[in-house]
Order: sequence, then structure tokens, then C-alpha cells
Amino acid sequence: MDWNQIPATLATKDSLESLKCSLNNGTVLPTVSFIVPHHLNATAQIPQHPPQPPAWKAGMAETPNEFKLKNPPTDGISAAKFGPNSSQFLLVSSWDTSVRLYDVVANNMRLSYHHPAPVLDCCFHDAVHAYSGGLDNTVMMFDFNTNSGTTVGTHDAAVRCVEYCPSVNVVITGSWDSTVKLWDPRTPCGAGSFSQPDKVYTMSVCGDRLVVGTAGRRILVWDLRNMGYVQQRRESSLKYQTRCIRCFPNKQGYVLSSIEGRVAVEYLDPSPEVQKKKYAFKCHRIKENGVESIYPVNAIAFHTNHNTFASGGSDGFVNIWDGFNKKRLCQFHRYPNGISSLAFSNDGQALAIATSYMYEADEIKDIPEDAIYIRNVSDQETKPKS
Amino acid sequence: MGRKKKKQLKPWCWYCNREFDDEKILIQHQKAKHFKCHICHKKLYTGPGLSIHCMQVHKDKIDKIPNALPGRNNVEIEIYGMEGIPDGDIKDHEKQKQEPPSKRLREDDDDNDDEEDSNQGNNNQFNNYGMPPPMGPGMPPFGMPPGMPPMPPGPMGPMGPMGPMGPMGHMPPMGPMGPMGMPPGMPPMPPRNFMPGNGPPPPMHPPMSSSAPPKPLFPSAAQSSVANTSGQSYKSSTINSQAKPTFPSAAASATNTSSSSPSRATITGAPQIKKPESSSGLTSKLMHPDEDISLEERRATLPKYKQMLSGGGGGGAGGGGAGSMRGGSSTAMGGMNDNNQWGGFRPQMQQGNHY
Repeated sequence: MDWNQIPATLATKDSLESLKCSLNNGTVLPTVSFIVPHHLNATAQIPQHPPQPPAWKAGMAETPNEFKLKNPPTDGISAAKFGPNSSQFLLVSSWDTSVRLYDVVANNMRLSYHHPAPVLDCCFHDAVHAYSGGLDNTVMMFDFNTNSGTTVGTHDAAVRCVEYCPSVNVVITGSWDSTVKLWDPRTPCGAGSFSQPDKVYTMSVCGDRLVVGTAGRRILVWDLRNMGYVQQRRESSLKYQTRCIRCFPNKQGYVLSSIEGRVAVEYLDPSPEVQKKKYAFKCHRIKENGVESIYPVNAIAFHTNHNTFASGGSDGFVNIWDGFNKKRLCQFHRYPNGISSLAFSNDGQALAIATSYMYEADEIKDIPEDAIYIRNVSDQETKPKS
Repeated sequence: MGRKKKKQLKPWCWYCNREFDDEKILIQHQKAKHFKCHICHKKLYTGPGLSIHCMQVHKDKIDKIPNALPGRNNVEIEIYGMEGIPDGDIKDHEKQKQEPPSKRLREDDDDNDDEEDSNQGNNNQFNNYGMPPPMGPGMPPFGMPPGMPPMPPGPMGPMGPMGPMGPMGHMPPMGPMGPMGMPPGMPPMPPRNFMPGNGPPPPMHPPMSSSAPPKPLFPSAAQSSVANTSGQSYKSSTINSQAKPTFPSAAASATNTSSSSPSRATITGAPQIKKPESSSGLTSKLMHPDEDISLEERRATLPKYKQMLSGGGGGGAGGGGAGSMRGGSSTAMGGMNDNNQWGGFRPQMQQGNHY
């Protein structure tokens, strides 16, 4: 594990010591059930990033530029997120109640911990701390160094979204109890509860701002530095239930998707001049035998450098879009299941694609296994053409 | 008759049917109203010219001529003043001019509508162009207010004033999506499927149909009336795709109960999702449960997940093991701890139960 890349501010010398300790001894702390893979004992040999050709390049790949992660969750994957400042670690939460940390370079699972119930979302706080929440209503902080989890707090209903805002240094959770709660990762403890008009379905951080999408197609823009009032209240410009919101890395706006195969590109600046630029488009629809099947767009992920974004639908397709120029840059092959989560790595070279059946239909036949694909993407696929 | 035909017609604008005394003025009008770039306001000379300008200078694809009538907004037809107008449309325009106004219908609602003019026996040739019928003079010369941006910028866009053109704007914010390489939200004036030599024109719609177009608009303008079609299953729309209920409020109560029940066994208080509108003419099927709750909320009610919460199932209980414990979930609901946990998210399923 590339622990040397941990920023000095985030990992103290002590924590690094304890980390080495726990890794070398394979110490198992009893707090939360978890797994320490054998290879952790061999940490010293794991090469620095970038390593010599990783295992998947030697022929384990499904296609030349993508591979499946080994040891995937055993039930629906709810979220996949890359760690900060590195493209090596991927945090994955699942309906199988686990949160797993993968090393995508070595293609192995580093550790996992469990909630008592399905986990709906997770995020990194820094390279060695994760937050997660789910149907057990609790927000859990997990320390990779000590391999221990702490319950940070609870909601009155399932925790649907977990995000971290680096600029304000706060962890944010959104819940079906119609609140957003802030957590101070230094303590860690609750730093406030803020009521929303309806159940929180999706959230995204945009600099100092937080964009919240709730049931009832409502969108709220909060200023995380001053949560005393809602900065903007909007109604979704899409006519159907909001599925996902992700903010442009350049902080100008956000992209919103609905269950009805549509994506909207919206701007935060309320001036009419800027609002004129917003638009929406249809996607993730399949025409077959005279029937157009319209799929929910479950996942959106932004490419940090290019401000382009990937969308993933229940149709199993991943598209990459240039939102400013209104162009589709590429479409990948169809995945065996719907796309439940997407994440670009920080360097923009890899896209994590989580595919899972999401109970869109009632009749359940042979459900393909849940899987996480890591796809190496080129600039050609992700860079605006102009 | 013969005398009348000799009468010189005034120059008229193909895009908006407006008449002018002088062709010079007509050209000025076209440059100002139809060939002006909405970004830099440069006045171009033709529709294709405008299209190329926008593409090359602004990297913006325009899919219709601004301020044009529905069906007359094709950017590919090159028209300059009276030059370039399809022959069919010229003949048609003459014909319209010669008729007493009472015979003409206003096509004020639905461009998907069937051909309306009853005097069109020999007009079928026009349809080779995929053009809609000409507007009668009774039609206000401007389908849209002048100066309107060519692309509706958003939901607040010009939907209101666009009333007569409603069906074009399947969904207002969808305007400029064409460049994405997908079917634009607004079908660019779908060519009508008229075969040359088509039979007698379909019956005219009574004027009242303007308030309830056979193919209801998706957008806000008509939402109130359309929303009630939510209960319709997609199946019913195959049968009935052409004519959705004219009086949805009346129909909805019937369809809601009848069509939503077969697919859903669990009865929840969640509102139902309305059926998606199809712009392509195909039957649309929304791959989502009928209730308007998120997939995750619905999934959380499955017995295997309820079991995890109530049974105190620890970490190890993955998805696999839990499935076998279906029976227990109902009894567990009464448990002391579970009540609290469930209190949190049951209300979503049974509205109004909030603590």
C-alpha cells in the first residue's frame, strides 16, 4: 500500500507507526468484524505506484483496457469511490453490509468492515479514514490504521448519502429522515442537523457548496460555511424522480439524472444569462422490437481535469459526455448488469464501474454477479474534442 | 375563377407565412427574424448559412430556424426571399389565399395531428417533403414571439407562448440536445407519413381539440391534464397511443385502479410514477417500479434486508444467508429495538406515519 503518499497533515507519525504495526502483525482488533488478507503481511514488497505491469495486464483482463476486481461484494454495490490524492484505493459499499477497500493497482482487497445492515454509501475522509452509512441508520467512521470502526452518530432513518467536503473539512450525510447532518472529522462528532423538504436521495459537494436532491424532485443548494439558510431552492428540471446529482469540478454547476433516461446540465449562478445555458438530454434508452425501454440513470462521475462526465444507467451502458459542448465522447460496451456507481480516479486515468442488479423489475431471473470493473480510459475518451 | 388566379400574390415568408408588400422587405424580415445568429446576432443570408455559421463559429448546432412555424423550421432548405420555396408550398399558399377564410382551419395545437385541410385532394405531393400542411392565413403570423431565442433554454423557456407549437417541445429543457448525437427532445418536425396519393384526408378535428391535443404535451403547460394518465400502463398506450384520453381526469380514476394493480402486489402509499411520453412514436417502457420511491427504498423493504435489521444479524450475514429467513420478518417488526429502527424508514412506505 502506498502509504508514503499519505499527506503529512492527514496521517501523523504515530498513526503511520500504528499502521505499520497493524499491518506487519496482522493485528485484529475486535471492534468490528473485518478481514485482513494474507498479503498484507507482505506490505513491504508491494511496489510503489506505478508498479511494474500489474497482474491484469498479464492476461487476466476481460478487454485489454479493463479488468474486474477480485473479491467483489456479494450483493448489490451501492457506491464506489476513489481515495484522495491517489488512484490506487477504491472504497466500495454494498448491500451485503460490507465496506471494502480495494487496491486497484494490485487488484486485491485490502480490508473490509461491516455494518449490521446494507450500506448505501461511503466516502473517504482522508487516505486512512472512511465514513459509511446505510439501512442501520448509523454513520460509521473506520480507521484503516487501527482497523477499528466508530459509530459517529445516527439518523432517524437510513443514511442514503455520505460525502466529504475537503474545503470545509466536514463529512456530510443525507438520510431518508429528511435531514442532512454534518460531522466534524476531527472529533468526530455531530456538527449540526439540517432539515430538508423530503427524503434525501442524492448529494454532491461543489467547493463550499452542497447540492442536495430529495424525493419530490426538489433540489437544494446549501453553503457549507453557513448552513443557517438554504442558498437556493429549486425544482428539478426533469419530470421524474431524481436519481443522481454530481457537481462539475470547476464548480459552475451540476449534472442531474432521473429515473427516466434523462440527464440535465444545470448551472449554479442564478443570473438569467447563465441559466440560459442549462439543458437536458435523453440517454440510456434502448429501442428494441418497437418498444423503447427507458432506464434510470443511476450514476454520474466527473473527470476531474476535463470536466467531462460519465453516466451509467440500468441499461448497463456507460457513456462519457462533454457537458459544455453537448457532445457524447464515447460509449463503452454493455455491462452484464445495470450500472450502480461510477468513479473516476483522481488522475482521470481510470474509471471504476460498479454493476449490480438494482431491483428495477419485479421478476428476477438469473442475476449476473455483482462486479466492479476498473477501466483505463484515454484522453480520447474523456477529453473534449475541440 | 380564372380571373382570380391571375391576381398577383404578395411576397410571403415561407418560414412564418407572413406577407410583405415588397420582396426587399421580405428579405430584410428573413434576415432579422429567421437568419440571425442567436449568439452573435450576425445576420446570415439563408437557413443553411445560419446553420453552418453556428456550427463553425460557435460550435453550436441549430436544429431549427428561429421564429419559424412548425414544419417550416428546416435548416437545410435554402430559401432567400421567395426563392427556393418548394413548389408544393407555393401552390398551397396560392390556394389558401384564394379560399374564403371560413374554410380554413387553424392548426393551432398539434403538428403530429393528421392533415387537416379538407380541400387537399391534390396536396399530397407536398408530403414528399415531409412538410406539414401550410398555415392558413388565419394563423397568427408568428408562432412564437419575435426575438425568442431559437432554443428554449430551459423549463422556464418559451413554453407558454409556444402553446400552438406544443408538441414540438416534448420537454422544454431538451431543446439543444441534438448535438449530443441523440434524438433531440423535440422531434424536428417529424415528417408525416403521408404516402402520395393517400386516401381521403382524415376527419377534421373540431376546434375544441386545441385545448386537449390528442397527444398531450409532456411539459408543464399540459402537465396538469397529463399527469392523470400516470395510472395507465404502457400496455394501454400501445392500444391507445394515438388518442390518449381527452378527459384524463375522468379516465384516470378508472385506469389507476385497473392497470396498476396487476404489476404490483404490495400496496404502498407511495405515489405512482407517471407513464413516460414517447416522442418517437414507439411504445415506451420505464424500467422502474411503479411507485415513486427510490429503488433503494423499495429494495430495503425486501424480507432479506428487513431480517438483517430486526434479527441483529451481525456483519457476517451477507446477502446469501439472509434470504432463507424470510418468514421471520413480520414477527420481528414488534421487537423493541426494531421499532426504532423501522420507525425511521417505514414512513416512506406508509405515508403519514411520521413520528
